[in-house]
Amino acid sequence: MNSKQIHRFVVSYLESKECHFIEKSPGGVTVKLSPDADRALSNRPYYWSFVDRTGTPPETMTYRWSFENPAMSDRMNASPVSYVMTESGRIIQEDVYFGSRRLHQLFGVVQQSGRCVTLFEEPPRGRLDPLASQAYTAWLGVNFKVGYECDMKREELYQWGISLATGVIDERFMDKLRERRLTPRLPANVHLLKNGLSLRKGMAQLEAALERRLRAADFSWAMEAEARRQDELERIRQYYVPMLEHMNHPDQSEQKEAVTARFNQREAEIDWQYRPRVSVSVLNCGIFHLPGID
Amino acid sequence: MNTSIPSDTAPRKLHPLVDMHVDRSAFEDLERRAERNGPWDDWPLYQLALEAEEANLVTDFHALRCLSLLPHFEPMPHQIDTARRVLHEMRGRAILADEVGLGKTIEAGLILKEYMIRGLVRKALVLVPASLVLQWVRELNGKFDIPAVAQRKAYSWDNDIVVASMDTAKRDPHRQTLLDGEYDLIIVDEAHKLKNKRTGNYQFINELRKKYCLLLTATPVQNDLSELYNLITLLKPGQLGGEGDFAANFVADRRVPKNESKLHEALGQVMIRNRRSDGGVEFTKRVVTNVPLRLSAEEMALYEGVTDYVRKHAASESGDMASMLSLVTLQREVCSSRDAVFLTLINLFKKTAEDSPLRARIWELVELIKQIKSNTKAEKAMELVRSLNDKAIIFTEYRATQEYLLKFFREHDLAAVPYRGGMNRGKKDWMMELFRRRAQVMIATEAGGEGINLQFCHHVINFDLPWNPMRVEQRIGRVHRLGQTEDVQIFNLCTLGTIEEHIVHLLHEKINMFELVIGELDEIIQQFEKEDNLERRLAQLVLETADGEELRRKIDGLGDTLLETKKRMQLENAT
Repeated sequence: MNSKQIHRFVVSYLESKECHFIEKSPGGVTVKLSPDADRALSNRPYYWSFVDRTGTPPETMTYRWSFENPAMSDRMNASPVSYVMTESGRIIQEDVYFGSRRLHQLFGVVQQSGRCVTLFEEPPRGRLDPLASQAYTAWLGVNFKVGYECDMKREELYQWGISLATGVIDERFMDKLRERRLTPRLPANVHLLKNGLSLRKGMAQLEAALERRLRAADFSWAMEAEARRQDELERIRQYYVPMLEHMNHPDQSEQKEAVTARFNQREAEIDWQYRPRVSVSVLNCGIFHLPGID
Repeated sequence: MNTSIPSDTAPRKLHPLVDMHVDRSAFEDLERRAERNGPWDDWPLYQLALEAEEANLVTDFHALRCLSLLPHFEPMPHQIDTARRVLHEMRGRAILADEVGLGKTIEAGLILKEYMIRGLVRKALVLVPASLVLQWVRELNGKFDIPAVAQRKAYSWDNDIVVASMDTAKRDPHRQTLLDGEYDLIIVDEAHKLKNKRTGNYQFINELRKKYCLLLTATPVQNDLSELYNLITLLKPGQLGGEGDFAANFVADRRVPKNESKLHEALGQVMIRNRRSDGGVEFTKRVVTNVPLRLSAEEMALYEGVTDYVRKHAASESGDMASMLSLVTLQREVCSSRDAVFLTLINLFKKTAEDSPLRARIWELVELIKQIKSNTKAEKAMELVRSLNDKAIIFTEYRATQEYLLKFFREHDLAAVPYRGGMNRGKKDWMMELFRRRAQVMIATEAGGEGINLQFCHHVINFDLPWNPMRVEQRIGRVHRLGQTEDVQIFNLCTLGTIEEHIVHLLHEKINMFELVIGELDEIIQQFEKEDNLERRLAQLVLETADGEELRRKIDGLGDTLLETKKRMQLENAT
């Protein structure tokens, strides 16, 4: 993410939370947070529980976020948080760059608060007969993250959708949604078609399709990881097995037990470190009502 | 729709070797909300969430992603290279054995960061000597944006990234807490303390459940090849074969390996040792200036008096080394300040029997102190600091001198802060901050091991010199280290006609220690001290020799021995 993208990202978040911008410049923003955003970002759980209990009108924080990359020398000389006092109160200044704590926190916040949606496409205005009702189909859109993991890791995103009417799968579903105007409210003159698939069935079909896709992928990474795992297992066997074989005396039984435990622990660690695995997680998902019958 | 299945049902086989695990909790959330008709999240946030994931996505196995997340920080090529090799060749289990000053901490930080970004490490434990805990926390937070915390209370262990002292961690109840846990990554600094496999430290690290593990040490082999074997066995049992195999295949004598190329190959798979001689690491220069000064007549009278006392008294102590050393200390203290010697004399007076004739002698010396109205050296130091017109750190051996200088500078409107070993960590940090921001001068009595990094300052004034060159090096090392962008100016204040002159001569002119490559000195001294303690040897020379010329010759002889050690070592390293 470059500083321009970060700038846009942060501003979109603040706008969606209805924060009050005091200043916007190419290099940064000064913003007074809305109560919602303050709860999510200012790390003041005690303050907010006080506000909630007493009903005091909340005083939200004001930040000045700079999106330019800070130089190391500046960082070493600056204290972690710096303030300026103005007539309207205290402003906290921070650098927000890719990798900074603040951006990391924002990522976490949006991932939590942009999880599930139900939306309707707005019908184009004017063109249609105001008396005719338009048929809408429900789609289940799911964004998957797939992780290929051994002692290393790689990830992919799948932004798929399935029509709950027909079971058709669209592998560029998010792209399709981005081109449309969506609203949380059911527009007028629209009727929703009955679903052929339940949400759960739709999800099962999407997963099955994804699984088929992943099965066909290249598994050389996994075979290499497995070879490393076997290699490591063989190495510790060569170390422990002869050692254990030499511990035959009855007096050594306790020692033998301890070494066996160590041996088993090493095996488990090697497994943990190298065993290839794929993890699929649903990042977010939604029900999208779109015109047409697909 | 009413039956609910657990989020992670049994894994499915994707490939004979690979299971697939599915986490569909977000979908279950959707189902629940659909049943209750909401509440629904915003469309812009939904898109931003995906955008955040896209930005954080680890698109390939190999690239070092951490570099793009640390825009303000430029590691050196050998550090990046080391991180890559540990990640991709050693698979996260390695000994980082760079020579002193090449940035092992930075390499470990890069590796930890990369694993965290990739989601391969969530819980990490950093075990270090107590004196380095805060420094590690500061580096990980400041340089790497890694939210590491110092372990202070039992609940600190719940944090994901914890830095703790080895000594605390291995003691119950902490020990058991840690052994019950699992760590994606364990980092052990100063890992040469793990060389003996019978020690508690070794067994503790051995028992901890860990996926990746980094051992940091500048001296992987100090005395015995079997120590190296133990260290490697901790990481990867069997890497060098069984214990018997190792002895048979690789050891000719305790300190002498055989089949070296094979050993190197086997070591190369688990250990990385960058050397200064490999090049690529540029340190700024050290410029050493001796600042000679003449004591005032009164100060010289005191020096002569003390010297006389020391010599006569040493004869009577005949052989008690400890008290002989403390006598020489008297002489050294006079060269520093009258305050330093005054305290010692008073203590000596109290310890002497009431009817001893020595009491009168000591009192005479105290009378001499009373004659002294000013401190020539302190004035010189102040003059020097004023002429530098920049930040400077002044080192002294003596607490009393430190107090005196603080007072003296304060009286002359020069902002100075103290630093000493007895301060607690918080106070040390505070003093460093004050020095960075407000004071022109820091006056320190201690430099060793405490992890003060003062790269923002490049003037070191040795108000007096320790007799152990390692301690001198530690002083300079606070300032002259990676990250120092300026040449470092070192000033040695040197009182003419005293033993101090001889010491400065030995360290500066004879063995030229100030300009040795960083790290070279500790090896030389370690070699030398296998046979003799350097400081004690010097004290002996001073006590045995009345004549200045003769003393100079003997000290030269000592210097020659050190130089030979250095030559021998350079030869050994070359082969």
